[in-house]
Amino acid sequence: MKIDVLIAEDEPGILASLDFILKRAGWKIHSVTDGQAVLDAVKTIKPKVLVLDVMLPIKSGFEVLKQLRLEQSSKNLPILILTAKGQEKDKELAKELGANAFITKPYANVDVIEAVRMLMGINKTDKRQG
Amino acid sequence: MRAPIGFRIRNQRKSLAVSQANLARNVGISPSYLNLIEASKRDVGGALLQKIAKALELNIDKLTGESEQRLITDLGEAFADPVMQGASITQEEASKMVMQSPNLATSFVQLYRAYIDTKTSNQVYTNRLKADPLFSELLHQILSQVTAIRSSAEIIEGVADLSQEDRDRFLASIGRESKLMSEVAQTLIGHFDQTLQNKRSITPTKELDDYIIAEKNYFPILEDAALALREKINQYGSFGEEALLATLKDNFSIKVVKREATNNQSTQFIYNAEKRTIYFFGSARASTRQFQLASLFAQLSADDLIKMQSDSPNFTLKQTKILCSKYLASYIAGAMIFPYQQFLQAAQLSKYDIDYLGQKYTASFEQVAHRLVTLRQKDASGIAFGFLRSDPAGRLTKHFPLPGLLLPNSGHACPLWAIYSAFGSSEPIVRQIVRFADGSRYFFIAKTTSKRLSAFNEQTMYTSVMLACDIFHAKDIIYAKGLDLGDETNDVEVGPSCRLCTLKYCAHRQEDALYPI
Repeated sequence: MKIDVLIAEDEPGILASLDFILKRAGWKIHSVTDGQAVLDAVKTIKPKVLVLDVMLPIKSGFEVLKQLRLEQSSKNLPILILTAKGQEKDKELAKELGANAFITKPYANVDVIEAVRMLMGINKTDKRQG
Repeated sequence: MRAPIGFRIRNQRKSLAVSQANLARNVGISPSYLNLIEASKRDVGGALLQKIAKALELNIDKLTGESEQRLITDLGEAFADPVMQGASITQEEASKMVMQSPNLATSFVQLYRAYIDTKTSNQVYTNRLKADPLFSELLHQILSQVTAIRSSAEIIEGVADLSQEDRDRFLASIGRESKLMSEVAQTLIGHFDQTLQNKRSITPTKELDDYIIAEKNYFPILEDAALALREKINQYGSFGEEALLATLKDNFSIKVVKREATNNQSTQFIYNAEKRTIYFFGSARASTRQFQLASLFAQLSADDLIKMQSDSPNFTLKQTKILCSKYLASYIAGAMIFPYQQFLQAAQLSKYDIDYLGQKYTASFEQVAHRLVTLRQKDASGIAFGFLRSDPAGRLTKHFPLPGLLLPNSGHACPLWAIYSAFGSSEPIVRQIVRFADGSRYFFIAKTTSKRLSAFNEQTMYTSVMLACDIFHAKDIIYAKGLDLGDETNDVEVGPSCRLCTLKYCAHRQEDALYPI
């Protein structure tokens, strides 16, 4: 049975390529395009990993992250942050809010796959990406 | 305050290999006096200046150095900038630099302007980077599009068994995202360009001013065009509002509608190009109606000529061309209303009685004054006048320079000038003889005018218009009647503006001087 990965990304071009590469990597991919939908989908789908863009409509990725960490059911959900904001302060904020990994756009596809694989617990080195 | 004419005389004399003694003899003065003139220790103007210009085979305008004056002012501003801390220049040094090394002075000013533009650009970009939400949003969009393109390209390149359907899908994604990114990049660039243009050291008004000054506010080609247009109008009757109305109606189907002014009316006239109608509101006087009709006729009839003249390669800003077009249309209108030779003769015969000329030509004080400034045709010129207009707050809203007299081109003039005392005067015309620190003397006349008739409840808009000429010409002007032009004890000691004034002690000083005194 394939493992569920939830992608939260509103940019269609990025969503299409993420869907393709992560499916090809062997995971079952679900996708949403706004912050509120992430909160609903996490409850219903219960993904193994969440790939979360920061600049989402309705609720930002950081707001979603904060809320997920407050809830019992999602406080340990592995979350990979994808963002165009690559400043050190943004990485610090993501870490402070509870993100497990951080990748700056534009990225190499292989880095996203590796990061998700790491969050799955498949990569035992447990190194942070960003 | 005069331009450094002495240097120019000396340089020209030397280039012609003429001795001081010979030149002095030719123009009827002593060699020692000529020496003082060349050392800028004595002013020179009027008939003597004309004799010197003729003896040195120079057009008199080349002697009076308007462009040099501006360069001296620009040098002063450059050295006053905090970046030049530790370096300073006196006005005398600046004058010497301009006269002896004009290219060096010009290059220095250009370098300074480039520095200001660069500094401004950096500041604009810094501010934008820090605070502009639009910039942040646009940047995010670009990065997202780059991400989509890169990711799609990697898939196409790296996945060996990619289906044709998927290949096409990701190629289409690359195409789409690239197009979007181009649009966003253009928006981003446009966003910065507009802000930058507004803050550049060169503005459209300054560019236009430079152009008008370079042309000495006289455009022979437009004078000829105006004469031809006036002849067309004369086919419909004696030149005036009625003939203009008939001409516009017949040639361009233009209608004129007169309406009552409403409360807080902000304009006296509006032209609706779509409806081909010009509206005049109750406050518009006959002189305004005539001028605006003439200006409209000029715009419509001489469109190609105006466009050609406005398309100067010296204009770096688009807005300058638009301003120039409006200015040239007004110039042609003025030349139509006041045909050159006829007006020059009337001006000279009446001794430049502006009130009389206004009645003769159905024109306002300002319109007549403006036309007087443009009588610069070689061998048929009027008295050389400078022109200033000020609002009641003291801001100079229009200016045409007088060769030899440094007029501030923006901001405020010397608070002692007649242009300001006219606001509070009950005299119809305020007359003033002024003396600058270098001993040069000028005759100023100023009058307060109102732009519109107002109903009791409305605020009337006042402006003050001033003409200035060299004291040598004052005797030919009716407004000098009764004044003892030779008595310097009654002269008012003035500067061009506080920033440019070298008077050490003046109770009326409002700003620190540009140059150390």
